[in-house]
Order: sequence, then structure tokens, then C-alpha cells
Amino acid sequence: MKYGMVIDLEKCLGCRTCAVACKAHNGQPPGVWWNRVFTPGSKFHQTGVGEYGRMGMYFLPVCCQMCSNAPCVKVCPVGATYYDENGVVLIDYERCIGCRYCMTACPYGVRQFNWQDGKKATEKAHYAHGYSYGWPHKYRDKQGRLVYMPSRPKGVVEKCTFCAQYVNRGEAPACVRSCPANARYFGDLDDPQSEVSRLLTQRGEFRLLEDLGTQPKVYYLPARRSGGERIERI
Amino acid sequence: MKESKAWIVFLGLIVLAGLVAWGFQLKEGMVVTNMRNPFSWGIYIATFAFFVGIAAGGLIVSSSVYIFDLALLKPLARIAKITAFASAMGAAAMVLPDLGRADRVYNLLLHPNFRSPLVWDIIVITGYALVTLVSLYIDVLPDLFKQKSRLAFPVGGKTEDEVLEISRRLSRVAAYVGLPFAILIHTVTAWIFSTQVSRSWWNTAILPPDFISVAVASGTALVILVSLTVKGRETFQQYAGAYRTLASISGAFIIVHFFFMYNDFMLRWWWGAAHEMEPLLIALRDYTWLHLAEVVLPFAAMIMFLHPGTKNSFRGLYAASLILLAGVYAHRFLLMPSSYNSIPLSLPVPGVSGELWAYPIATGVYNPPQDIFVSFWNYVPSGVEVMVTLFPMALVLLVITLGVRYLPGCYESAVKASLKRTDEKTVSY
Ligand code: SF4
Ligand code: SF4
Repeated sequence: MKYGMVIDLEKCLGCRTCAVACKAHNGQPPGVWWNRVFTPGSKFHQTGVGEYGRMGMYFLPVCCQMCSNAPCVKVCPVGATYYDENGVVLIDYERCIGCRYCMTACPYGVRQFNWQDGKKATEKAHYAHGYSYGWPHKYRDKQGRLVYMPSRPKGVVEKCTFCAQYVNRGEAPACVRSCPANARYFGDLDDPQSEVSRLLTQRGEFRLLEDLGTQPKVYYLPARRSGGERIERI
Repeated sequence: MKESKAWIVFLGLIVLAGLVAWGFQLKEGMVVTNMRNPFSWGIYIATFAFFVGIAAGGLIVSSSVYIFDLALLKPLARIAKITAFASAMGAAAMVLPDLGRADRVYNLLLHPNFRSPLVWDIIVITGYALVTLVSLYIDVLPDLFKQKSRLAFPVGGKTEDEVLEISRRLSRVAAYVGLPFAILIHTVTAWIFSTQVSRSWWNTAILPPDFISVAVASGTALVILVSLTVKGRETFQQYAGAYRTLASISGAFIIVHFFFMYNDFMLRWWWGAAHEMEPLLIALRDYTWLHLAEVVLPFAAMIMFLHPGTKNSFRGLYAASLILLAGVYAHRFLLMPSSYNSIPLSLPVPGVSGELWAYPIATGVYNPPQDIFVSFWNYVPSGVEVMVTLFPMALVLLVITLGVRYLPGCYESAVKASLKRTDEKTVSY
């Protein structure tokens, strides 16, 4: 099994529901975002770019691209970042020494460091009294490695896990389930019959920074209103 | 000697202050630094790279004595090895405060990932420190033997001539073993950076050779600086030949460094693709002053090292070495901004050709009214970072000071030499 995701940019509304759902479900401390949505080329989200008469606009959600040739896995000196049995790149919170080499290595800017204790950071954000968020239990993968915990220790790196705690129970990741436009698909790339595999044969899918050779397992279907342009490094 | 005691106490206090700052950082988290997610390595790693560079001097000097038959450098070899060992210690001490979880460093031993250049670097730097230490020991062995020190136990029961012979033979071996290590530590340290396809500023094959040239230039300058300080003005004429040779080596390698650096600039500028030009522009446009420092200072040092007027003067060499070290430090700092501030995930702007738009990165810290998502992080080290950096700096100086003070043959030869000269003078009168 090889988990992958397909994001249909034609369907994406840029509403950022996936980013918020991801943040809430995975208990990310204030200032930490595993999943972002922006309007490429534009200073402001949801604002068109281009010249008069030739304006365009599309939205690009970016989370961990789950690279198959992942630079973060390669550089991690202690093997805290690793592939699980489904090709998902995970971080062991108990192993990470906080060297942040992986943040330098990752071309997609998705890795987030805990610059301070998670609980302390949340206190400083002044949420309503008694409010807390995030899946309330620790989650260990099949090998027993701690890849999710509701309150993050300071000094370790975190990022998207493809919602390891849900996928393990047969549910789709939070971003996929919460998207009001159904723009996200999740499934097994090894199975030619899966929805994701079938989508990949149809519309000229592309991946981000493909020429770097990271071989992401997150694919994008182009938005037609941006002229169906391929988004690649120039 | 009294002065040197005050100096040692002073350094000790700075080490202490740095450790206190590190303690504060451990308690509060690395939020007390000015690094953030988009700019995840700062002055700590820059200083680490600087220390690795200046560690080059030791084995270059001592290996040259044997491999290139430069016997005139021999009197400086001991000091050179001490500076090398001290700098390697400094490099090791510098990475620790950069770790978010320094309490887990043991994981490097328990679970090393041998595909990580960081692990290679730890191995070769440890190896280098050991080789310098052993070679230093071999070098001082005859003196220890003469002093009947217990440290000379491996050669106990031998005659003085035998010990001298053993020391000479093993020194030669150490020179040949050491040289590859010296080259490796700079190559592998450069690989930490140059292997990263995400960072165009580093991702070039010129980086390792450039690291070597910068290391030879700055490592040699450090040896000059420490030797001048330790041996003093009185013996300057006696060692003038050695100083001149070292100055020429350093000056020549500054030229090589400029050649490598501008080679890289040239290719970026000629092709002009946005993602390759951007890092160059960041260095020239956003960090103009630092860039000027990294160019002008080494250039000035190069002239001073090669000009007969300055390379034969105590003050000229002293100043040139200091200027070069400052310039190289600026150069090392500039590893970072051009790399982090050209965000790898930069996409074309729809409808506009040739322009890139950087996908914003979350800083990781909620601190209104500061933006959370940024595409440029104006990194300036925080007060805590500067304090913490002082700890390995002072540690290096402390190890050098203690080394030259307590190891035979650093001060003594100077004193003896000057005594001898007075003797000669008396005789000729
Ligand atoms: S996107 Fe970044 S964090 Fe995710 S697998 Fe690739 S390199 Fe690693
Ligand atoms: S910060 Fe943690 S996960 Fe990242 S490379 Fe270092 S040890 Fe590995």
C-alpha cells in the first residue's frame, strides 16, 4: 500500500477549511500550520493577479508532499523522520533531537519547529477559558513510535502525518473530510482501481517542484481558469 | 604570567555567561533566538562552519613540515596543533546549543542514520580532533620524557635519542594520516550544505573546494595570530621565515577562494534564471554591508599577506590575520540569508513571465502584530544567541591559552631563544 493524495485545483475554493480542520484536529500550537492555502502570485489571498484584461487566480493548498525520495528522511541524523509501511513520512517525537536539518532540506516549507513548549504557546494565545483543541490521545504507529500527541514538547519538529491517527482506523484525513468542495482525494496509489489512481490518468496531473526529484505522493490536477498552466519551477 | 592568569579568569567568566544564556534558552525554548521556521539555522551553524574552517591550520602546518619539507615551520607546529584542537572543540561545543533537544544527543550514537551528512561530519570532526591530539602528544613526547613526566610512560626506559627518533618517525605518520582528515572535515562540512537540492545558494559543486580554500586561508591566519601573540615581538626575526611562508599560503588561498566564489556568481548571473539569481541578489541587495565585509576584508588581508612591507612586519601580520578572520566570519554568516530567504517553493506568477512568487511559510510563533506567514525573514541574531555564541568562542581561546601555557615548547622556546641570543651578543662583545 502506498498512500497518496490528489488535490483538484479546479474545485478548490481557497476557503482554507482544510487548513483550519487540520490545525484543530492535530492540535497544532499557535503559529504552527501543517497545511496552508494561498493564491499563487498574489500578495493577498483571494485576489487576482496579472495584467488588466488578463487577470487570473487559483488557489494552491500545500501540506507535506509525502516525498518518495524525501530529503528530510535522508538528512535526519537520528532516523527520527522515517517512512512507515505505507510510504507515509512521519516524525518520531521521542527520537527527534531538534537539529532542524530536515527543515533546511524540505523544499516545501512544511516542517514546523516547536520553538517553545506547546502548552505555554497556547496559553499565550488567550483562547476562551477552558477551550482546547486537537485529537486528545497520543498516537503510536505500528512500530510503537510516537507520531502524535496533543501537547507538543518544545524542541522537536512536526508536520502533516496524513492524519495517522484517523487513517489507521480506516478514515480519511481531516482535510479530505472537511473540504466543502470535495477537492481532495485520498487513497492507495498502488491500487489501480482506487479513486486516486483513476484520477491520475485523466487530467494531466502534476507535482510541485517536480524537477527536484523529490517524487511527492501529493498530486495536483490543474485549474482550468488559470489557463491550465503547469505550475513548475521556471 | 600574571597577565595570562587574569586573561584565563576573564575567558572563564565569558564561558560561564554563555552557559547561563544557554540555560535560559533551554528553559524557555528556542523562541528566545531570532530563528524561525523559514530561517531555521542562524548564527550558531554559521559559527560552527567558521570553527571547522579555522581548525584547518594545525595539520596544514604540521603536515607541511613533513610532506612538503618545510622544516622552517616546525617551531610553530605545536601552536598550530593546539589551535586546531581548540577549534575542533569549539565546533563541537557550538552545535550543542543549536539542538532543540540537546538532552537527546545520545540518539546520535544509538540510532545514527549513515545517509545523513551531519552524521558523517560528526565522525570526521571527532576523528580530526583525535588525530590532532595524538599528533600533539607525539610532538611533545621528547619534552615530557626529559621532564620525567608520567605522561611519557609509553617510552619509559628508552634513551633520549631513541625517544626523539620515535617522535620524529610517528610525527611523519601523523602528518600523512592528518592531511586527508583535514581535507575531509571541510569537504564533509560543505556537503552538509551543498547536498541540499532545495537550497540553490549551497547546491553547487564549488562549495566543498571553496570551503577548503577558506579553511586553509583562515586556519593559517589563526596560527599566525596565536604564534605572534605567544612568541612575542622579540622573537619575530627568528621566525620571520615561517611567518612569511604562512602569510604567503594564506594570501594565495584567499585568491583561490575569490576565484571559486566569483565562478559561482558568474554562472548565476549569466544564465539569470530567477531561482538562481535570487540568492545572489539577496546577498548583494539586502545584505550589502555584510557582503562588502566578506569581500573587502579578505581582499585587504590578501594584499597585506603578500606585500613585502606588511608580511615582514609584526604589526602588519597581526592586523592582516585579524582582518581576515573578521571577513571570513562575515562570509560564513552569509551562508544563511541567501539560502533561507530565497524560499524553495517559489512559483511563476500567472500571466507574468520571469517573476517568481514565494509561497509563504508559517513562522511557528504567534506573536501579534507580527505576521505568521512570511516570505522573507529578516534574521538578526538575538541577544541570547550572541551570548550563547560567546561560549564556544571563549572556550576556543581558553583551550589555546591553557595549551600554550602548560605544554612544553610553546613559550619556553621563545624565552630560551631570546636568552640564547643575548648570550651570543655578550660573547661577541
Ligand atoms: S514535503 Fe518536506 S517534509 Fe514532506 S516528505 Fe517532502 S521533504 Fe519531507
Ligand atoms: S530536527 Fe528532528 S526530525 Fe528533523 S532532522 Fe533533526 S532529528 Fe531529524
